[in-house]
Amino acid sequence: MKLKKITALLLGTVLTASMLTGCNEKTDVKPDAPADQQEVETQTGDEGGEEVAPAAEEKKEYAEDEITDFTCFIGMPGSEINDGNEIQEIIAKKTGVRVKETWLTGQTAEEAVGTMIAAGEYPDFINGGDASVSLYEADALVAWDDYIEQYPNIKEMYSDAEWDMFRQEDGKIYWANVFTNSYGENRETGHNDEAFWIQCRVLEWAGYPKVETLDDYFDVLENFYAENPTFEGNPVIPYTILCEDWRYFCLENAPEFLDGYPNDGSVIVDVDNMKIVDYNTTPTAKMYFGKLNEEYNKGMIDKEFATQTYDEYIAKLSTGCVLGMCDQNWDFNYTITDVFAQQGYDKLGCSYVPLGLTAEPGMEQQWHSYGDTLNNSSGIAVTTACEDPDLAFKFLSDCLDQEIHDLRYWGVEGVDYLVDDDGMYYRTEEMRKQATDDQWKANHVCTYSYFPQWLGTSKDGKNAMQPSQQTSEFFATLPEPIVKCFEAYGAENYPDMIHSKVCETGIWYPMYSYSNAMTTDTPGGVAWTKMGETKHKWLPKVVMGNDFEASWSEYMDAYNACKPEDFLAEMQEELERRAATAE
Amino acid sequence: MAREKKERVKEASITPKITRKELKRQRVLIVWSIIFVIYGVIFCYLPLGGWLMAFQKYKPKTGLLHSKFIGLDKFKFLFADATFFRVFRNTIAMGTINMITTLIMAVLFAILLNEIRTSITKKVVQTISYLPHFLSWIIVTGILHDALSSTGIVNELLVNWHVVDTYIPFFSIEKYFWGIVAFANNWKETGWNAIVYLAAITSIDPCLYEAAAIDGAGRGDKIWFITLPSIKPTIMILTLINIGNVINAGFEIQYLLGNPTIVDVSETIDIYVLRWGISQMDYSLGTAAGIFKSLVSIILILIGNSVAKVLGEERLF
Repeated sequence: MKLKKITALLLGTVLTASMLTGCNEKTDVKPDAPADQQEVETQTGDEGGEEVAPAAEEKKEYAEDEITDFTCFIGMPGSEINDGNEIQEIIAKKTGVRVKETWLTGQTAEEAVGTMIAAGEYPDFINGGDASVSLYEADALVAWDDYIEQYPNIKEMYSDAEWDMFRQEDGKIYWANVFTNSYGENRETGHNDEAFWIQCRVLEWAGYPKVETLDDYFDVLENFYAENPTFEGNPVIPYTILCEDWRYFCLENAPEFLDGYPNDGSVIVDVDNMKIVDYNTTPTAKMYFGKLNEEYNKGMIDKEFATQTYDEYIAKLSTGCVLGMCDQNWDFNYTITDVFAQQGYDKLGCSYVPLGLTAEPGMEQQWHSYGDTLNNSSGIAVTTACEDPDLAFKFLSDCLDQEIHDLRYWGVEGVDYLVDDDGMYYRTEEMRKQATDDQWKANHVCTYSYFPQWLGTSKDGKNAMQPSQQTSEFFATLPEPIVKCFEAYGAENYPDMIHSKVCETGIWYPMYSYSNAMTTDTPGGVAWTKMGETKHKWLPKVVMGNDFEASWSEYMDAYNACKPEDFLAEMQEELERRAATAE
Repeated sequence: MAREKKERVKEASITPKITRKELKRQRVLIVWSIIFVIYGVIFCYLPLGGWLMAFQKYKPKTGLLHSKFIGLDKFKFLFADATFFRVFRNTIAMGTINMITTLIMAVLFAILLNEIRTSITKKVVQTISYLPHFLSWIIVTGILHDALSSTGIVNELLVNWHVVDTYIPFFSIEKYFWGIVAFANNWKETGWNAIVYLAAITSIDPCLYEAAAIDGAGRGDKIWFITLPSIKPTIMILTLINIGNVINAGFEIQYLLGNPTIVDVSETIDIYVLRWGISQMDYSLGTAAGIFKSLVSIILILIGNSVAKVLGEERLF
């Protein structure tokens, strides 16, 4: 009897415990202190090991127990770096802060952030992507205003007028976008925007023809494909389209560019009479999707494009078998350039060059936007869950300190780059190679890539803030086939290659910073969500259909049922509001 | 002594009166029951308070207590949304297909397994067959994705055997999706579900089989006239429980295998709740959809139970 009781008791306890743990599980997000501390110590011994002079406060080294660990969530997929990453440790010693970054995995940013808001649990730093406004509305963010005044490094990121663009309804600033922001002289050599990309070996094979329209583009692809159906033993895919989740811009927004307009993202702004135009229904849109449909039925377009995930897409590009696609440079080229360099495909001419196609030959276009683009709809933010916001903002400021900034982007002097007699930074071939190595990056490199940063010229007035913009580095890393391609087209760099009209963008630019932040609280926001769903569903169908005219008109019916006019009206209102603030 | 025992037996056969003595005698049981009642209250009943959200314009900032009440607006939006009905249809359809196919497969598998004579083979087969149950959906969908991709094994076999000329893009054709989901569910759960039926079969009195054998029944007759009728109560009860789950047709598998081209057939209510409730931060709408789902679930169970009652079969209550 007694035994039975004890067994029952035990069983019961186990049962209850197992049932409760399911709900109690709370993963401790704070990272443990890195295990391989010693190794780091020896690695960094020569870098920051000088005696700390009591007067020079900047040189102060933080001991391990003085270092604060922060967490940061970024609403974008990315790769985590290893605990004990060498440069992360150096930065931690210099700033007293170590940030554990976690990235989006297998969800959308809205889902991830929505879950955080519902649970009321936040990391210390967050970049909520398109869901940033929701974070503000949930009172989850700390206002920047006082800290901007306190930290000159932060203040100088933007002019007062630019800071004003970040203000939310309550008149305060809660986040700052960290991208495409240049210090000093602009050093742009790349095209970090959208384009129709093509492998330069295709152009070389075709004798560097003039490629101006979609027809020209697909002609070159078709001819090349007919004679080169395989690459390194794998079948060539002439053209693929990424349309997973928010990245479906690769499929949907080309019509605005083809008509010669800049990347307002969700709409076209007709500058002549300040009207919002919907690019989904223009004749160019129909022409573009018609062309894709034609090419799909010819077998020129990847049969699996509609279902491929971003990872699958990158894997496909990495094989060097995809001849062309429409995409944003930042969406694929950072990864692909490294992969091609590792595989040696860059020497075979697989690297992509951008083409500025238009609906009609000879039109002006704005695929490339010169200068900085301020996207105020998202950015790095400090949450109310952060126990020491003062330190958090100090860290944001420290990120912009030239020494830390160099560590983040250039690395450790002597290991990642060298300095010549003129004080110019350069890298040896070996350093460049190791900088593209994933293993090395995870163990050694720590760019804190979603924290405040500069492009343009370093505060020393000579070097570029980031290696990719260092002229010598740019040309040294440029593969031979690309150099030949540039020469053939009389281009010096990527922007020359795409040859966009040089013009100032309007004060309202970019309009997507407004539509990205829309919520379903307004009819326009509901329409915007439904339009997105409809396009997600229909555009691949339209491309894959047997009867284009029929599927297009069905799509248009479904599209118009979403009441796009509600959305356009709200965009028009915002355009007028933005235009008015300029006066 | 004997009399006392007799009384006890008598006492046990009828519901005992709640006396202090009785309470004391059952105190261990009572303590444990209370723990589970508390568990139920905390985790099943208290969260129901959140249903308030469905009738509010809920904002995390204002919280449950200070958000504005908007009556049935969210339900109106829900029932005016064509997507919601499509999603509802998909859920019911996939749930029903899954329930019926997994039931048939599990019973069939249990019977077949029971017919195996060597116990080692039986154990090996059984162990292997229920292992997939422990795989998470992300792994199962990963395997499916690879197997059914353009370069996957299925397409390669089909092309090499000249069944088709060019590969089939399985995940962009609507009519295949429910089938793929049902296949995945069966692959994963058949072995596991069969365990219950196998247990029921083992408890059948062997005399029945012996008697049937004497009467000249073959193997098939024994299955049909003895095994199946004997496990019928088990099948009925499990089916009844599962009817309530029809509406839980799944979230992970559709979420992971679905894509925008086939969203018309792949999206379930749970995904709808996630997309509107969490992604669009419309927690009220998500809650409304969740309430609707619970109601449908309760109605389904009630219907199933009354049908069982009419047929005079085992039932839940």
